[in-house]
This record gives sequence, C-alpha cells and structure tokens, in this order.
Amino acid sequence: MKTTSPKHRLVALLSLPIFLFLVIPTAIVVPVALNDSRYITFPPEGLSFAAVAGFFADKAWTSALTASLQSAGIAVVIGVLLGATAAIGMHGRKFTGQPAVVGLILAPMIVPTVVLALAFYQFFIAIGMVGSILPIGLAHAVIATPYVYLTTRASLAGLNPALVRSAQSLGAGPLSVLRHVYLPIMLPGLISGALFAFSVSIDETVMSLFMQSPAATTLPVKMFTDIQFNLTPKIAVSSALLVSVATFGLLLQVMFVLRRRSTARMLPMAAPAQT
Amino acid sequence: MSTSVISAHQKPQAKPAGQGAIELRQVRKSYGDVVAVDQLDLTVQPGEFVTLLGPSGSGKTTTMMMVAGFEDHTSGSVLIDGKPVDTLPPRDRNLGVVFQNYALFPHMSALENVEFALRMRKVPRTERRQRAVDALDRVGLGKMGDRKPRQLSGGQQQRVALARALVFNPAALLLDEPMAALDKRLREQMQEEIKTLQKSLGISVLFVTHDQDEAMAMSDRIVVMRDGKIVQSGAPDDVYNHPLTDWVASFLGDTNLIPCTVVERTGDEAVVDLGGLGRARVRDRGAQGENYAVSIRPEHLKFSSAAVAGNGCAAKLVTSTNLGATVRHRLTAGGHDLQLRELSSDSAARFAPEGEVWVRWDADKAQLLVLES
Repeated sequence: MKTTSPKHRLVALLSLPIFLFLVIPTAIVVPVALNDSRYITFPPEGLSFAAVAGFFADKAWTSALTASLQSAGIAVVIGVLLGATAAIGMHGRKFTGQPAVVGLILAPMIVPTVVLALAFYQFFIAIGMVGSILPIGLAHAVIATPYVYLTTRASLAGLNPALVRSAQSLGAGPLSVLRHVYLPIMLPGLISGALFAFSVSIDETVMSLFMQSPAATTLPVKMFTDIQFNLTPKIAVSSALLVSVATFGLLLQVMFVLRRRSTARMLPMAAPAQT
Repeated sequence: MSTSVISAHQKPQAKPAGQGAIELRQVRKSYGDVVAVDQLDLTVQPGEFVTLLGPSGSGKTTTMMMVAGFEDHTSGSVLIDGKPVDTLPPRDRNLGVVFQNYALFPHMSALENVEFALRMRKVPRTERRQRAVDALDRVGLGKMGDRKPRQLSGGQQQRVALARALVFNPAALLLDEPMAALDKRLREQMQEEIKTLQKSLGISVLFVTHDQDEAMAMSDRIVVMRDGKIVQSGAPDDVYNHPLTDWVASFLGDTNLIPCTVVERTGDEAVVDLGGLGRARVRDRGAQGENYAVSIRPEHLKFSSAAVAGNGCAAKLVTSTNLGATVRHRLTAGGHDLQLRELSSDSAARFAPEGEVWVRWDADKAQLLVLES
C-alpha cells in the first residue's frame, strides 16, 4: 500500500487528532484500573493488579458481571431470532403496511430509552415479572432486534431470489431452503447483528436501572450506583473490562471480514476465460 | 475451443417413471385487472422441444413459472404426465429448471450444486456423489467439480446449472432464457450442445426466449406469444415462412410486407392484388382479418434477368450494403420499399445504383397474412 503521497499524509495528519480524541477517553480507564492506589487517580502511581483481583473477589461485582452476561445472552438469542426472522420474512416481498411493520421493528432505536424503560417497568410490574434478570434481558432483546434486522437485511440484499426458487425446484423444503440458501448468505450479517445485540445489552443502563433488584443488578447499574456512593478503582476495572469486551468483539468482526476478503482474493473471478 | 464438449453418444440415463408430457388447459393468470396469461392451451409431447417465444411482457416467463409451480394460476389446470399438479409445491413437481442467471448456490462447489437435488431426495452419499460426477462428465465438466461458481466462466456455470437440473431424472426440463447472459458465439455453441443433450436423453423441454434465432435453432415447435396469448404455433420453418400476421412475420425476422387486396382464395393459395406491383399468386393459411398483406422474406426475393409475369416486378435499386456473409439490397417498386438479401458469394456488382432491375419470388414463399397494426 502506498501511503507516501502528500495527499495520504495530509489525510493521516488530519485524522490523527480525531482518532486520539475518540480513543483516549475510552482507553484511559485501563491505566486507572491497573493503578497502584486505593482511589481513582490519574496519572497512575504504579502498576498493580490489586484492583482487578479485588473486583473478582467481590461477590457484588461478579454477580453484576454475571447478570450483565445473562441479560446479554437473552438479548442476543431473542434478538437474533426475531431480527433474522423479520429480515427473511420481508426479503423480496412487498405487502400493504410493510413500511409500518419495518417502522415498528426499528422504533426501539428511535424512541428515547428512558421512555422505553418506564414502559417496560410498568409492564413487567403489571404482569408481576420482577426481581429477576429475565425482564431486563427481554427489554434488551427489544432494543437489540432492530440491529440484527438491519444487518441481516443488508446481507440478504445480495441474495438472488432465483436461488430460493432453484432450491425449491431441486426438491428443497422450507427448512432446507433456510439452511442451504438463506443461512450461508446471511451469516455475516447475523454475526455482526449478534455482536451489536451483545454490546447494546452490555452497555444498556437506563432500563436496567429501572428494573434492577438485588438479584438483578447489571454491571453498568452497579457502576452507576457505586460512582455515587463508593468511588473505588473497581469501577475503573469494570470499565476496562467492558472496553476489552467491546474491543475483542470488534477485532473478531474485523478478523471475520478480513478472512472473507482474503479468501475472495485467493479465489479470483473466473480464472479460465474460455470454456 | 469450438468443438462440442457435451457428448451425445454417452449412455442415456434411465427414463423417469413418467414420459414428460406437460399440458396446460385454459390457464389464466391475472394480477388484479392485468391479465398476464389469457386462457392458454399448450401441450408439450414427451421428448418434444417446445419454445415459448415472445417479447418481454408477453407472458412466456409467467407461463413457465406456473408450470414450475412458482406462480399460482388464477384459473385453469396444469398437468404433468396427465396428472394435475395445480396444488403441488415446486419441490414435488420433479421438473428440472435452469434459470436466466443459472442461480447456482455460490457457497457450494460445482459438484455440491449438482448433488443438491439428490441430497434433498436422501440418496445415499456414495451413490449421489457418483451420479453427480456422471452428470458433470456429461456436460464436459468432470474435472471442474471442486470449483466454486465464481471460479467458472459463464458457459461453465451454464453447464453446471444444466447438470444440476438433469441429475435427478426430472420429468421435463424448463429453461428460462438460459443463454441471455452469454456472448453470441458461446450462445450458439450452447444451443447446439443443449439440443444434442436433449435429443440423447429424450427429455421434454419447455424453453423460454425472446431471441428468435435461438428459437429457430433449437425447437421442434415454436409457440409465439403476445399479450398473454398464443398467436401462432408450429415447426420453426413453418412459423418463419408462413406467418399468420404481420406482427409474427416481423418478430421472427426481417420481411417485406406489401399491403394487398384479396382477389380470390382457393384453399392453400390466393390471388392478390399488390397495387402497383400487379397481381400475384401467394400461399394462404386462411387467416381472417380486415386488412391483408403479403410477406416475402428478403432472402426469398431474387434478382431476375427478365420480366416475370405474376410473381415478379420491375424495381429500382437504391443501395447495396455488404454485411459480410450476405449483401442487403434496398429497392423501390411500385411505391413500396423492398429489401432483398443474397449471399455475398452470389452477388456480383451486376447493377449500377439507381439502376432498373427485375425481381421475382416463388409463389410458396410469399405468404398472405393479416395486417394487425
């Protein structure tokens, strides 16, 4: 790759401050978490894993982490099921009221979270489902679904409708069509949708705060309440943990995309010109 | 690379239980007020190669999709080997379909693509592998089984699609403009190969195309469609030489249309008045309409050394254009513009531009038809 041209250098020069502005505030939690101090301070005074060990020894924090992972698990499973089903169901179809249905699926992205939080809170109180992680996971699934729907829909845009017909003509039933035609093509979208769903749930605070209970306190909620009353480096540790999870997810996705690209490059289009 | 790679003399596959007859009875398809296919009656005999030929919007593809089961018909009935299939989903119709852009599964190798139908039919692994290899061999791609569709050229993808559609011994083969994406030379080669393969397998084919050359080259029977209706059907040369209407004549190729009035009709023949060109004896198929014309294909007009009574006239040469294999002469005669085409090898610079010439034609090559437009 050529990066030496003046144009490229200018782009790099302009991008650098923006890049730093985006990354530094996020990355700063890592040295703070590894700081050798009983309080949150910056710059760090020395390297220590005491705060990390303390985090994992503290049951209140580990159960918050577990709660977050559980709600994310529920959000991913339900979000993927709903989002993918909606994307497949509406692929290549036009029907009356379709824009309304799409709008409904995407609404959770647009409606302010605090409004959703209040609504879910009242709803789950009304049906008596409180005090567990399930309502939080379900609420997260609702806001995760549009992400899965959008990424899966984008993958399916490249699906030739004739593929479905050819599979049918060759004897494939609905499940075989799903498995052999839809799934391979929508897999990248499904994976990035699942990653989105996961990070949306891990990050979600407002709804989790409304529906929290001693048995269901997610990591962001625990952080939020601790910041108010009990400012310790464990908060920085959990932040660093969330940043690592997000970074890991991002790397996973980048790797996936790169692998697909490189296989595509290794198998170039139509090598033989003649038949 | 112009030799045919599909071998005709391989052992034909065992014929399926049915014979492969397709029948459409009064089939109609409408979308709201729009009628796509109108009361269509059509039969494909076992082993017959029938082409639905028509411009886009003529209902030919809709007709095929109704046979395949991808579209529901509004009324009427579709029968395969005498049994109604109206309520059968596509997967149970046992028809091999080749789509316009082949619709190969991109993530499967050529062999896996061909194997797919057998896999769906729960054929044991070793047997289906063997049959898929055989099917690929039959289309000359025995060594390409490992390749993904995107690593294959257009012609190779077409062959894989063909092998995939044939591997499960379908009752009949449906081909939806399968060569539209190929260049001209490859298209001609594939036409011959598909025709050879079809003959050696003895399989019925319903073929959809808008390309009249393709229809002429491959069909046992051409069914010309327009606005959801069959306007004429018959053997290729019959439809080409004896069109019933000016629309069919023009759709199937260049032609000279000379408006006329009918003087006398005697069964197969008619005497017509060609206005400025005098009277002529022409072929008659009994087509009835308001206005009539005579159609003479440009290659059926000949230069004549002397005046011919009846089927000939004096003309004035306007231009001569050498098209390579043929020469196209433009003439005027009796107020009509005429086109005469002859082989370049037959054509010498006999005539000066603006020169007076004589042209003639054979009575059985001039067809009386109805002027629709």
